Amino acid sequence: MYECRKVIQSPIFLGLFLLFSVYNIYLIVSSSDHKEELKIVNELIDTYGRDISDTSLAQLDQDIQKEMTQLKRSAGLEFQSVHELLENMSLEEQEAYSQEQWNQIQQLAVKEMYFNTARSIDESYAEIDIQATGEGEVRMYGLSGSAAFYLLQEYEKLDKRFEELVKNGEQKQWFFAGKAYFMHSFLFQTVFRHIIIESLLLIVLATALITAYEFEQKTQLLIFSTKRGRKLMKDKFSASIAIALFTMIFLLGITLGTFFIVFDYSHVWSTSISSAFNWEYNFPYIAWWDISVGTFLWLAAGIVLAGGLLISCLTFALATVVKNSYIAFAGISLFFVAVLLLPSFMSKSSILFFITGYNLSQLLLGISNSFMGGGLTGSRNYEWLTVSCWTLIAAGICFVAYRRFTKTDIG
Amino acid sequence: MRMIWNEMKKILTWRMLTFLLLVNAVLYFLLISFDIEYFPNGRPALDGYRLGIEMIEEYGVQMDEEEMLDFRRQFESRKEEANEYLQAHPEFAEAGIDDYEELVTSVWDNEERQNLHSQIMHEQQIDLFWELQERSRLIDFHDTKEMIGFEPNTLQQTRFDELLNEGKYQAYPEVVIQNFKEFIVNVGITILFSVVLLISPFILKDRTRRLLDLQYTSKIGRSLYKTKLIAGILSAGLVITVLLAFYFSLYAQNGTSPYFGLGVNAFIANLTWYDPTFLQYIWLCILAIYVIGLIFTMLAMSVSSVVPNFVTLIGIQIPLIFVMLLMGFNILLSHIISVQSPQWLVPGLYGLLGIVSVGLLIYLMRRENFRDISE
Repeated sequence: MYECRKVIQSPIFLGLFLLFSVYNIYLIVSSSDHKEELKIVNELIDTYGRDISDTSLAQLDQDIQKEMTQLKRSAGLEFQSVHELLENMSLEEQEAYSQEQWNQIQQLAVKEMYFNTARSIDESYAEIDIQATGEGEVRMYGLSGSAAFYLLQEYEKLDKRFEELVKNGEQKQWFFAGKAYFMHSFLFQTVFRHIIIESLLLIVLATALITAYEFEQKTQLLIFSTKRGRKLMKDKFSASIAIALFTMIFLLGITLGTFFIVFDYSHVWSTSISSAFNWEYNFPYIAWWDISVGTFLWLAAGIVLAGGLLISCLTFALATVVKNSYIAFAGISLFFVAVLLLPSFMSKSSILFFITGYNLSQLLLGISNSFMGGGLTGSRNYEWLTVSCWTLIAAGICFVAYRRFTKTDIG
Repeated sequence: MRMIWNEMKKILTWRMLTFLLLVNAVLYFLLISFDIEYFPNGRPALDGYRLGIEMIEEYGVQMDEEEMLDFRRQFESRKEEANEYLQAHPEFAEAGIDDYEELVTSVWDNEERQNLHSQIMHEQQIDLFWELQERSRLIDFHDTKEMIGFEPNTLQQTRFDELLNEGKYQAYPEVVIQNFKEFIVNVGITILFSVVLLISPFILKDRTRRLLDLQYTSKIGRSLYKTKLIAGILSAGLVITVLLAFYFSLYAQNGTSPYFGLGVNAFIANLTWYDPTFLQYIWLCILAIYVIGLIFTMLAMSVSSVVPNFVTLIGIQIPLIFVMLLMGFNILLSHIISVQSPQWLVPGLYGLLGIVSVGLLIYLMRRENFRDISE
């Protein structure tokens, strides 16, 4: 516990933590212009239920039509859809509406957009050809040989999963429209990447500080000759892990807390993450399992924790060997970027191209696509295999480093 | 002099140099290699690049109305060639495409025509059609040369009109300058990391090793601190020079020298407060990298002189580097003379950063003379 205090009492650690938290809050608040519009989905779920069925859609259509006739009467205009109305509206006409009326029109327009997307789900899902996408990927990356074979095989599996997904109707659930708001990318890519990079910086600094502390304070001769002796490194290890865990939990808590206060997710927690509305780029998100948004969030947080702890272990091992926090910090940062680039040095015809992608950097930075099919790290087993492989590697390295340390010259 | 050299040897150790090599290798592949290996990046970038060289050879670095007319005439004659190509291939006539105009305008409503279009553009990649597309883009751009392309404020509008009156409107394809801007920012980032990693630890290291007790009681005494600072600046300068030389020798592969004489305002979408040639612009960016590098060297040395340990040393510099990566390089390097920021902002920022970092060092130098080193 005294080891933990070395970190907690260092002002730079707390300072950086506060700075990062404030920055994250700023990041979230500054991109929350559309938070009111998002609430319409909550309203839809309340009124029509989570699942989109033909009857509930018909109901929604009726309600939209009803509101539209009202609008037509009050505005004295003739139009087919709100979209059309807005498109032809000039700025002066716009100003003629009262604030309340204007809000109503906006709301109706958003509802219409959701309705149109929902209506065309079947149509747009029928157009998705997973096999062809796979072949496109092979061409795009210029793969050949066993690499191409492997990727096509993965896409074949994904195709089966896709059929199952459509059969279960996982895609027919309300969620924030991806193409309009990019909420999945914002939360799991932008916000999560910030959390990850910030907590990794803090974790590596803290671990390096604790581990190399005695050598940098020139107290090693005294400390390691006490009764506890070099076993102290075990305590240092536990302290590093504890600090890493707390750092991540607090940073996740503060950032995600702000996020969900700003954006109202209360109604969409149990919507499937593979919902057709969660379709941002030219391919919807297709998860390998039927997981909800809430579960996905927990899983993502789990990956962050696992990744952070593993990086902490690796830092501990390196710092034990080099006995210098500066080199340990620089070395781990270098390692993190180097393994990120590793796959691009591999032959594009060999399976190594994929195997080298099973690393912590790719796992952590690609977190918005975890548990999803498609892409180079879209294998069904990618997440747990990466974490368990690196747990083994980190445990091995830590063990060797500790054994070596018990015999090394500390003078 | 000998002391400076000895201090430099302490900074530029083999271990440190190997480490820098690794850092640069990783950052090169992460950031820089793309702008060199993939230049020009696909089409129509390649055609823009070729066409730009052709234009400079034929019309020089400024295009007047007569030359523009000639450019249009060439477009027409190339179009004739394209028409001949289309007529020589019966499948186009069958799809109802008789000439080039129809190929580009009427293609999107019909799948058969779309396929034919993508066949000549993407599968066969016929140069002629790509070149035509680029030429027509340039002509369109010329037709709208009186429009500024973004919401300008008064100063920006004045600058724009001024250039237009001098006949310096934006006429040449922008691939080269875009590529250079991306390249130079990535080089800047790489050099910033290299310099900060190199310089940060060395003053602190002497202090934690209790070397000062020995040094400051010797005959040279406390003025040694100044020697260290000079050694730090020289080492950083040396590393910056070597790295710049290396990265620019790679940049030479891009073959952008035909563009060197072109004023930077002649490139499309590159409105700037001053009008240097492309080569002068490159030199300006090199100078900027030296200044940024040395400012951060001085900041690193200041931090290194006051912090108690390595972790604080890194921790304090993380926010500085973050700010630099998030905004600094964008304003200070990639838009160094662009009208995007007010004319006074960039020189002002350089001045401010310079004064702060030099001022800190002078303060620390004075402090060093009286400081209690036994703590």
